[in-house]
This record gives sequence, structure tokens and C-alpha cells, in this order.
Amino acid sequence: MGMLDSIYEKAKEHPVRVAFPEAANEKMMQAAYECARDGYIVSVLVGPAAELRALAAERGYDADVFEYADTADEALQAEIIEKFVARPDTRLKEKALARRMQDPLYYAMAMQKAGLVGVTFAGIENTTGDVLLAGQMMIGLKPDISTVSSIGISEIPGFEGGEGGLIAIGDSAVCTNPNAEQLADIAISACETVRTLLGCEPRCAMVSYSTLGSGQGELVDKVVEAVRIANEKRPDLAIDGEFQFDAAISPEVAAKKVKRESKVAGKANVVIWPDLNVGNVAVKIIQQFGHADSYGPMLQGFDGIVCDCSRGAPVSEIKGNIIISAVRAAALEG
Amino acid sequence: MERTELEAKIIELVAICYDKPQDELSLETNFKDELKGASVQMVALAAEIENELDAFIQLQDAAACETIKDLVDLVEEEM
Repeated sequence: MGMLDSIYEKAKEHPVRVAFPEAANEKMMQAAYECARDGYIVSVLVGPAAELRALAAERGYDADVFEYADTADEALQAEIIEKFVARPDTRLKEKALARRMQDPLYYAMAMQKAGLVGVTFAGIENTTGDVLLAGQMMIGLKPDISTVSSIGISEIPGFEGGEGGLIAIGDSAVCTNPNAEQLADIAISACETVRTLLGCEPRCAMVSYSTLGSGQGELVDKVVEAVRIANEKRPDLAIDGEFQFDAAISPEVAAKKVKRESKVAGKANVVIWPDLNVGNVAVKIIQQFGHADSYGPMLQGFDGIVCDCSRGAPVSEIKGNIIISAVRAAALEG
Repeated sequence: MERTELEAKIIELVAICYDKPQDELSLETNFKDELKGASVQMVALAAEIENELDAFIQLQDAAACETIKDLVDLVEEEM
């Protein structure tokens, strides 16, 4: 059973309520419909309910497969606002929140923060920047995490390391040039994401062009400092480095280059790039030469699951990302 | 609200959100170079402005402000 098959099975065990603030979009509605119809999630369409219901019927869907969060329903809005502002970790007060909620993206995230849905799924009409800013305002970041970042999971034919052939890599999409503290936060968030999604213990390598001092320079210093900060913040997590990529994933290379105890060297299942130049190039190499199936990017660092899909994504990819997000949310809900 | 009052209020909110003493801030203070804040702090600042001044500002517009003066101009326009 492949990674996605196993995640699909998990999603069906606990279908999570997912809010769709771009529900009128044709591809988004189809993905929301198929995911709900097949029992992976409960799709909650956010917007004018009568219009969305009519649109669903017009497109040939059973409109009763969806739930609707009617943005014209004053009682529902009042309930969301009351629950949202009652939380100690929210920023907006009633009046400002009501104004923000005129935008369905903010409405959906307010529902999520209020506990009425587990995930907000957007990005087909809103830009990545819109989603990231809205997520920071409405959902907020996890305590002790200072940056939003992302990881992807790759299934590489012939690769037998990582976690049963899977490897999590990040950040290849969001945080362009992290400083040492941000890099440490990316590693910590990645470990949490892998734990919730795959249910395994993360072994996280922070990679560089140097293995434990074999190379020098400020680029290496940043990674060394990031490992130190990550270990200080989260001594319970196996985060180690700095390692070259081969020393991180190959037991043979690690045996030669890493001359001290390490829970990670040679068997990393999470790899953290030093910056986005490396991350973006690396993920393209993995896809082009390794012929990998890649899932994500999954946003992380938020105090909840926030999702941004590519505006050009096909329905099949949107569905995969919705279901992955739902499984992450189910793990958070416990 | 008078311009000077608005300037003082926004400097007060910047000080809170960026955890800086107010007397170290001026209208010329540059968000990126001097405050070195992350976007999460600018988002927090925008939320405070919405709550305290009842002014709705687009987060993208707030993030584009280079100095505190730019932000005051933006808020004044929206009020």
C-alpha cells in the first residue's frame, strides 16, 4: 500500500470537517464533492448557501452531500464571533472580526479557530500570500514558533532509506532565506508534521555542504547554530547536523563521515535545507532524476492546519492535498 | 483624530507588537532594517490597528510599508 493509500484509509476512519471558502470555483467544488461523497471528509462550503446549493445542482452534484456555512446567516456569524473572541490566543475583537469575515477566507478560518471545522482549504483563487497572511491573523502560529514554512513528502522509486522509502523535505516553498532561529523552527515544525501525518518518530537532518566541521564558512555556521537552537528548544526531538546530504541518508557514508553517536546520521527521514535556493533546486532534482511522487507542500508552523493549493492544480492533486490536510487535522484533534 | 495623535498611537502599537521601547521609535523607523520583524509581527500590528483605531487595512498593504510614517499614511487614508 502506497503512502497516499494509507493516508486515504486513515482519513476515512475519522472524517474531518473541512471549510472551503472558494467553494464556487469549479475545480474546488468538484474536489470537495468527491472527497465528501467518498467519505474522506465532511465538506463545508462557505458562502451564500442558496447560491452554492443551486450551483452544485447545476453542475450535477447531489447538493445534500455538502454542508453549508451561510455567510448571510447572522446567528451563525454571531456564534463564530463569540467562540473566536473567547479564545485567549486570538487577536481581533468583535467589530474588527466581523469586518474581516466579509471575506470568505477569513470567515472559514474564524470557523476553524472557533472549533467548528478542523481545516480551511484554499488557494485556488487566493494567492499564497493571501492565505499565509490570513492564517497568521486568524489561526496564529504555534507557541515558540516564529515562522511559517512548508515540507513535502517524496516517494522515490528505488530509495530504501528514510521511512519505508519516504522522505520528508523542507522548506522548498515558503521561507526564502531563514536565519538560524527560523531554520531551527522549520526543523521542529517538520518533525511535528511528520509525526502527525505518518505516525512515525522523526529523524531530522539539517544539511549543508559540510559534515560536522568538514567545511567552514558562514553558511555552515548558520546550520550549526540552527541545530544548537533546535536541540535547546526541543531536546525530545532527534534533530542533528550539520550533515552533507549523503551523510544524512546513507548508512555507508554516515559510517565514514560521522564519527560520533547520532540517532539521525545515515537514517534521516526528514531533511531540512539551509535555504530556499537549495530547497527548490533539490526538489526539482528529486522529481526529474529520481522520478519521485511528491506530496505537498504542506504549510506548517500555524496553530492549526492551514492549506494552500496551487492555482494551477488539477482536481486529483487538490483531492490528495485535502485528504492529507484532513489527516493532519485529525491527528491534532487526537 | 489629529495626525499627531494618530502618529503617537501607531508608534505605541508598534512598540507593543515589536517589543521595543517607544522612545527608540520615530516616524522614520524602518520595519525591515531596524525592527527586523517577521511578517507575524506586522499581522499582529494590523490587528491592533483594526481593534484600536477601527481602521481596516489590507495586510498586503501593511506589509509593503517601509517606515512607520508609511503605515501612518496608510491608516490615515483608511480612516
